[in-house]
Amino acid sequence: MIGPSIIIKGEVSGEEDLHIQGRVEGTISLNGNQVSVGESGQVCADIQAKHVKIDGEVTGDVSASENVVISKSGNVRGNIVAPRVTLEDGANFKGSIDMDPSAAASGAAPLSSRQPANSPAPDIKTPALDLKSG
Amino acid sequence: MDKPAIQTSKLLPSLFEHIEEEQRLTVLHVGPALSETVDFFANYRCRLHFIDLFSELPILASEDTPSLHQQFEELLSIPAETKFDICLFWDVFNFLTGEAIQAFLAVLRPHLRPNTLAHAFSVHNVNAPQCNHLYGIRKIDAIRPGNRAMAVPGYAPHSQRQLKETLDCFRFERSVLLPDSRLELLLQARL
Repeated sequence: MIGPSIIIKGEVSGEEDLHIQGRVEGTISLNGNQVSVGESGQVCADIQAKHVKIDGEVTGDVSASENVVISKSGNVRGNIVAPRVTLEDGANFKGSIDMDPSAAASGAAPLSSRQPANSPAPDIKTPALDLKSG
Repeated sequence: MDKPAIQTSKLLPSLFEHIEEEQRLTVLHVGPALSETVDFFANYRCRLHFIDLFSELPILASEDTPSLHQQFEELLSIPAETKFDICLFWDVFNFLTGEAIQAFLAVLRPHLRPNTLAHAFSVHNVNAPQCNHLYGIRKIDAIRPGNRAMAVPGYAPHSQRQLKETLDCFRFERSVLLPDSRLELLLQARL
């Protein structure tokens, strides 16, 4: 854990999970593990990990071999590459998201479904008039 | 504030009709990233580019600002090799002047393919009231509007005829009249 008053500048690497409540500038490379950025965490770095969970601020590219979750308090500026990406309502994201469900280890909805799972019965409002067919 | 009802879309499915199972999609969404849209596209091999021009409004040219072209180049910052298969322009043209739309398209045009499809919301009647919605794709034929926290400045919608003239790198394929004089549009690139 990197505590709220800790500032690290440089390369962070290792083989265990990391929770960041402080500030990290540079690169974070924990390829087989989880990186979580807490609500007070400020990361100005590229992140490589297996799982990434962001509750705080990240400026940089994020690459995960399994999934990335940006929670409602998360604020991310950068590009994300991961088989699965989850953005919670209220999350602030600016950048691109590169996803490939076929690369996900498990839990990926079949492509043929072409719609998210867990869709509740919607309150449907039907369009009134088709003006033109071209 | 009431939560708007999910609305079905006649035109949204057309964006996906010709998508092959293994095809890698590149999508431009001009608007804020919402969880539902990300969840929807998680079923595809894809790259989603979220560019929230709404948070930059009003986008205007003046003596004190860079040209509109420069402003859009900076705001879009699209990687050179990127070509979009699908563009989502939900309400954005209602908040850009004709000059700004042309500058936006000049920056976007090199990133379109001849078969790029776009889905847009616009208005049928320029007196249509401002709609402060943001949108997420609920499923392939349904969109969930949500309420914005604050009204977006610079609402000055264009008539369908004006928009057709201004969106010169897109052909209007189909349009559907929605409640409140709003329009749903399906566009195809015309390069």
